[in-house]
Amino acid sequence: MLTLFKHTVARSKGAILGWGLSLGLLSLWLVSFYDTLAAQREMLEKAFSAWPKEIWAFFGGTADFFSPEAFINMELYSYMPLVLGIFAVLAGSSLLAGDEEKGFMDLLLGHPIGRTGVFFGRFFGFVVVLLGILTLMWLGTMIGMQWSTYMDLGWGQMWLPNLALLAQLLLFGGLALFLSMVLPSQRLAASVAGGLVAASFLINGMAELSTDVAKVAKYLPMKYYQGGLAAKGMNWEWFAWLMGAAAVFVLLAWWRFVKRDIRVGGEGGWKVPALRFWRRRPARAE
Amino acid sequence: MANQPAIAIHGLTKSYGKVRALRGIDLEVQRGEIFGFLGPNGAGKTTTIRCALDLIRPDGGSIRVLGIDPQADPVAVKARVGYLPGELQLDDNLTGEAQLHFLNELRGRKADWNYVRELAERLDLDLKRPIRNLSKGNKIKVGVIQALMHRPELLMLDEPTFGLDPLMQQEVLRLLVEAKRNGATVFFSSHILSEVQAVAERVGIIRRGKIVEVAGVQTLINRSLRRVRIQFRHDVDPTPLTQVPGVALLKRDNGRAVTLQVEGEMDALLKAVAAYPVVDFETERPSLEEIFLTYYADERNSHKMEE
Repeated sequence: MLTLFKHTVARSKGAILGWGLSLGLLSLWLVSFYDTLAAQREMLEKAFSAWPKEIWAFFGGTADFFSPEAFINMELYSYMPLVLGIFAVLAGSSLLAGDEEKGFMDLLLGHPIGRTGVFFGRFFGFVVVLLGILTLMWLGTMIGMQWSTYMDLGWGQMWLPNLALLAQLLLFGGLALFLSMVLPSQRLAASVAGGLVAASFLINGMAELSTDVAKVAKYLPMKYYQGGLAAKGMNWEWFAWLMGAAAVFVLLAWWRFVKRDIRVGGEGGWKVPALRFWRRRPARAE
Repeated sequence: MANQPAIAIHGLTKSYGKVRALRGIDLEVQRGEIFGFLGPNGAGKTTTIRCALDLIRPDGGSIRVLGIDPQADPVAVKARVGYLPGELQLDDNLTGEAQLHFLNELRGRKADWNYVRELAERLDLDLKRPIRNLSKGNKIKVGVIQALMHRPELLMLDEPTFGLDPLMQQEVLRLLVEAKRNGATVFFSSHILSEVQAVAERVGIIRRGKIVEVAGVQTLINRSLRRVRIQFRHDVDPTPLTQVPGVALLKRDNGRAVTLQVEGEMDALLKAVAAYPVVDFETERPSLEEIFLTYYADERNSHKMEE
């Protein structure tokens, strides 16, 4: 398991550095804006008050926009579940199904390692990859904060939004992993999970505007995402629920992986029996 | 346990939806032998091997590999087996050497690294090159090395020479013979009769998910049909040739050329032909498909007789 864990992290070095450094630099750049914003707070508050409430709601805005936590939430963490969520979905769906479809899984499982070892070696590697990206993003924020006069959040305090984001990403990644174990192909699993992530993001964004939408939104994980506001105080109950839901998907995926056939390399996927209904039957020869 | 066959498969069935990939496979491979598993593409060779390694789960029947049920203890089986998948895929980001180190880690560092270097040299493979820069043939070589490097008791190789040039095909076949000489059992699938013929002691022929024959290689060859085309210097009456046991006239181009079908050994025909002035004598080995057809002809005849 340890060998596969190390292999998973090693083969994702590019993803960690690419995503982590990009988001770290973005965080640094955004934090550097805060001083300008805080210095002109009174003037900007007047200007922003003209924004329609739909715009504020969609971007996760709060009345307390000028506090460091709210600023970092709106400018960075409010859309991270969508941005990094897509990464988590792609990585989660290809974690095992990608190896299967390429044919690499046959080679791995031809060695004396159990399916449980393969599964958790890959999964814990995925967790470390996410932690690596979030750590670089966090470092970018903290480095930016060293030059800021007005933004003064502690290192531990600023880690909390990342923890809230991690729970969200693990849930999306776990869902994609589970779908990749039950759906015919990795691509289909990524599409379905990606669609759910995007829908969850949009519905949650609109929930502030309509009570009907809010009724639906309370069943979606985005509702329980605190983002940058976690720096003010983490809702550990929400965090535990999200982590619990992620664990359920991961365990279901593990159960399925241990029980089912390994796909033939190069096959690309299975047929969807349910969709055969839609196929037109060929005309019978007389 | 040591007296048990290396591979014992009984009544193995496997379906993918409505497609019956395996329809009751019965097969035993004895310890220390080289066993060739023959069949055209899609016959069920890979499915059988993948069932034996617990990569897929059979619908019915039983499998024992080195006396162990692979579904009950897959790790114990795979610790003693060297496996080359039919659709080999390696990690493109690693060099050949790093790939082998990674796979060796999965094996608990059981490989003999001097042997790895020797194998790489014999197969003319540069282990320092990244996998992504290797040709298909060189990737197969990495696959062959990873299967052999820990000197397993049983080698299960799915088309080990597919994609290799003829010289390397010969080298891989030599490695299989050496592995057998060192006490290993070799079970390899192929759809190329000549390579199986070169090294295997026994063969199993699979077609449409059923074993149609398990026999010694020599027995198989003797049963197979050959096509012989003879060009004579002048007009010849071919009747004496067609009276040789196992010989049938397929075609008479003109008085000077005949095409015959020969079943069994060639000796009697050669002696009969020696009486004539021969300009050219060509024999054509039957394709695997033709051998299958002879088995199926037998099968059909036996069905008719039963009726």
